[in-house]
Amino acid sequence: MLFNSLSFVVFLVIVLALYYSKIFNWTNKKRLLLFASYIFYGLWNPPLVILLWISTVVDWTAGKKLAVVEDKSKRKLWLLLSMLVNLGFLAFFKYGDFLLENFTALMNAVGVEYTARPMDIILPMGISFYTFQTMSYTIDMYYKRIEPARTFLDFALYVTFFPQLVAGPIVRAKELITQFYSEKRATANQFLWGLFLLTMGLFQKVVLADTLLSGAADEVFGSKEILHGLDAWTGTLAFSGQIFFDFAGYSTCAIGIALMLGIHLPDNFRYPYAAIGFSDLWRRWHISLSSWLRDYLYIPLGGNRHGITRMYVALMLTMLLGGLWHGAAWTFVVWGALHGIYLVVERLLKGLIKLKIKAWNGIILALLTYTFVNITWVFFRAREFSTAKNMIWSMFFLNNEGEKVLYTFEIVKVFIVITGLFLCHWVMRNTSMKEVAQKTNPWIFGIFWAVLFFLIVISQGSGEQFIYFQF
Amino acid sequence: MGLKKSFVLAAILGLIAVAGWEMYWRGQGLEPNIDDTDNLSALQRAKLQNPKEDNVVFIGSSRILFDIQLDLWKEQTGTEAVMLAFQGASPLPVLRDIVDNTEFNGTIIVGVTPPLFFSTTFEKAPPISRAQERLDHFYDQTYAQRINHYLSIPLQKNLAFITVADESWDSDVDLGTLLWNQVQDERAGPKPAPFNQFEDVSLDRNVQMTAKATNDTAYANTIKLAWQDLLSGDMPPPDKKSTTEFFLEYAKKFEEKGGNLILVRCPSDGWFKEIEAMGFPRAEYWDSLVIRSKLPAYHYDDYEQFRDLNLPEWSHLSKEDADFFTTEIIKIFKKDGVLTNSKTE
Repeated sequence: MLFNSLSFVVFLVIVLALYYSKIFNWTNKKRLLLFASYIFYGLWNPPLVILLWISTVVDWTAGKKLAVVEDKSKRKLWLLLSMLVNLGFLAFFKYGDFLLENFTALMNAVGVEYTARPMDIILPMGISFYTFQTMSYTIDMYYKRIEPARTFLDFALYVTFFPQLVAGPIVRAKELITQFYSEKRATANQFLWGLFLLTMGLFQKVVLADTLLSGAADEVFGSKEILHGLDAWTGTLAFSGQIFFDFAGYSTCAIGIALMLGIHLPDNFRYPYAAIGFSDLWRRWHISLSSWLRDYLYIPLGGNRHGITRMYVALMLTMLLGGLWHGAAWTFVVWGALHGIYLVVERLLKGLIKLKIKAWNGIILALLTYTFVNITWVFFRAREFSTAKNMIWSMFFLNNEGEKVLYTFEIVKVFIVITGLFLCHWVMRNTSMKEVAQKTNPWIFGIFWAVLFFLIVISQGSGEQFIYFQF
Repeated sequence: MGLKKSFVLAAILGLIAVAGWEMYWRGQGLEPNIDDTDNLSALQRAKLQNPKEDNVVFIGSSRILFDIQLDLWKEQTGTEAVMLAFQGASPLPVLRDIVDNTEFNGTIIVGVTPPLFFSTTFEKAPPISRAQERLDHFYDQTYAQRINHYLSIPLQKNLAFITVADESWDSDVDLGTLLWNQVQDERAGPKPAPFNQFEDVSLDRNVQMTAKATNDTAYANTIKLAWQDLLSGDMPPPDKKSTTEFFLEYAKKFEEKGGNLILVRCPSDGWFKEIEAMGFPRAEYWDSLVIRSKLPAYHYDDYEQFRDLNLPEWSHLSKEDADFFTTEIIKIFKKDGVLTNSKTE
């Protein structure tokens, strides 16, 4: 079910009505949320709920054993079981065809004639999110960082909680399970703030991502020609905005919906396009994934505890795997590699150049960071390396002879939206939406809210999926 | 923060703005209408999972979709129509799907629009892919999409500004289309002529031409321009051999299952008639198909009463003449006894 659909509006109203009715006690309300979450997921493809169940049962069992077993080798086995099942699901459902394709290419490269039919496996929505979430529970249990979930219901709800099930934020057990231990009820202000966040998230998705930006990005990245430099830059900038508004929009909706139920989810984006440097970027972009990768991959790989070379290797490996997490294609690996290189170069430069960040140089450095980020988006969005190569060529050499595929009006539209996005991020980089809202006159804020609602209604949208559902 | 105040104000202003938007577009002559979506097609296709004895299936492109009026069809034949003709599409994938994936063995009426019927069998080419995507949606449709469809119906029926179509018209009033209509420059080449809405659709996919397209010549002329714009580029040559072979193969399989096929060539006019006559001469295409298939076949040009009909935009009949065409063709079918399951003989 999509947040930007009529069925979700009806679903949410029913869930909220039952949740706040007096007919259920807290345990039954949690059962209601769990049942609603399975409906939310199952209305897309019912049999795939079974994967969720398996993941839930395996990690619940592993966590329960890890809570009592002290024998090191047995503890390792329980951890391995969880990893095997979760990563096995990912490997089969998400990377099955990719692995087969590469195996075939490798065989052919060494002279072995081999052809394989693609398996055409259906990708279960949000599998990368919920497998990472459940794995974090078992890993934390292994390292004895957290207490086990008190009941199976609490754990199952943690894995399946519908607001963040299919596209995050990837929430840690200690942040969410403990919230299920006592009855949660949003205050009127929390409920209304949650409703505002839902409106804001839908505005980002339906109006900004789908209506104002996706057209230019699709046109440019769909072209087989070598493009005019202006078109290549416009398409890339449009995609940078589209993917931010699409994904941040989903996270904002998820946080808002959870808050309407009295549950707090962590922030997933903090105005990332105002980041100064790439370490700063990853503290602001998809925070729940970058912190997951830091805690469960980068640090176990050694982090910065074993010298500079080992740290750079760990950093590169983390970013390469982070790239692959986003999709089963080499273009995503290149995207991850570029971010890895940026981080390494940034650390090297920081050792050489001491710079005091002020407002005037800060905005220039933020713009520079954003420009470099845009180069990476080309590889993220392009389906083939040939497209990415053509795009980069047009962007770097400002190719004036290339094909023009965008009308001036569309270019102006994209530049207005992206300039607004960048300036908004810059102004907001050290504050939050809530702080700004608190300082705003309630009547002005009401008018702003009405404008968002009206623009969502007249944009209508076509129920397009959120981009991150495929990851 | 005064969120309650903000919420109340936002709710009141938001509702007033939406009501004002609706009233504005009603004032501009826009009426609520149902959109021909893939969800609507999926409901038609679903009827063939458990076909009734009195089902008659229509396949083809937009001409048979506009020209056969399903309410009159039911009234005059007593049979239940299943409309699986799609705009800009070839009937071939639909015939294949019916033969391969259903138990249906009643009557299929095949609308033959030569530029589409004889275009290609290449799966990725639009005449094939457009039909196939509609069929695929029947198989791939999620429960959430079904619910969304049912929930959207009251909105489509009552609000003029609502658009849920998979393909947009330039006369739509969603924000994206309104912005697109502001494009005036020619940086990426001349902007295509606007393709304005000219169909009224009901929930059973009965399609008829709008009163505006029928009565407003200037409006109908915009659609004529769009046709010329759409079809003026380099078009791939027709593939008569493979399309004919494809059709004959599946027609034979369908007849072996006990099914009955009827070919119908619906009217065209003006520029369309001219290019069809030039590019797809009757003797070479239609007559050849009829001879090879040995199926009952009806070409509008063979009937005096179909020679002077009103096609406001050259390709589809006005509502009034679609009623006439439906009534007359049923009389002809009955006279020839080709409708095997008609209940009003």
